Amino acid sequence: MGIKLFIILIFMSLGLDARPISYSGGSTIMASSDNMKKTIYYHYSPSYKYSIGVENIKNKYFDESYSYARFTYLINRKNSQNSQRNLYFQSGISSKGLSEYFYGVHGDWETRRLFVGFGLKKTEKEIQDYLEQYYQIGVAPYLGDYGDLHTWIMLKSKKNSLENNWATYPVLKFFKGNTLIEIGYHKKTNWDVHIMYRF
Amino acid sequence: MKKLLLLSIFTSVTWAENPHEHMHHSHEGHLHEQLVDGKKLEVDPVRFDKFVMGLENSQIAVVNVQGMVCDFCARGIEKTFKKDKHVKKIDVDLSKGKVLIAYNNSQEIKFDDIKEKILINGQNAIDMTIINL
Repeated sequence: MGIKLFIILIFMSLGLDARPISYSGGSTIMASSDNMKKTIYYHYSPSYKYSIGVENIKNKYFDESYSYARFTYLINRKNSQNSQRNLYFQSGISSKGLSEYFYGVHGDWETRRLFVGFGLKKTEKEIQDYLEQYYQIGVAPYLGDYGDLHTWIMLKSKKNSLENNWATYPVLKFFKGNTLIEIGYHKKTNWDVHIMYRF
Repeated sequence: MKKLLLLSIFTSVTWAENPHEHMHHSHEGHLHEQLVDGKKLEVDPVRFDKFVMGLENSQIAVVNVQGMVCDFCARGIEKTFKKDKHVKKIDVDLSKGKVLIAYNNSQEIKFDDIKEKILINGQNAIDMTIINL
């Protein structure tokens, strides 16, 4: 049952951009799924300041598939004893041509107990441009030790200009070791799932 | 108010009954909690004892790290130090924001090297204490 669920989640594809850059020399593979698209994204980080990668997208809204060559850059990071704050720039060029691309920013601030994040992403397409945005807050119900299963209870609010309405729903985030899973559900947008493995 | 008073008494008694869980641990062969210069070393003593168990002829670098707020972000630190052949063992203490690294006694520990290794993971090492076992 556990393996089945895991496989189902992997192929449900995603929509979040948590941890867009790994440590120097690190690779990350992630899959996401929501009501608008399914994606599989691999990126490599030559430095903790940027990552390059390829993302394959099955766009449910336009009923088409394509890939992006992606670049993410850490604009600013503030480390303190009990918190970390990040601001990232993200961009991608579509396999369908140079006229189709996206760009945006996303940021987060977190302690071991609290998390706040946001993202804005503008996608230019020949058919129709659109803007995606999300805001997310979370709390860790317990503070796990290094290597434990960590859990976050979050609230996410997102809007895609193609649909032009906000959806706010609970999200559960779990991570242990190099694996992270986020699962959210809203009756209108259905499942919002994000799975990540870092190596 | 009475309830609060009773709760305080109960909490005090519970703490007093188990002081060893918090304060007492083996001091044989190593030094912690307070360094010879009087500086307080903020390392969980139970964790430290567990870490040094079985280690001989070693020195421990206790590194204070900023920005190490989650397990997922600290993974790279462990991976980076494990690639260093001079490192015998590593532990990440998220609650104290510390990384414990065990080296051979003969190894010269350079803080700049450790800082660089922490930085490539995206965090900042701000100070280090070396404890000889």
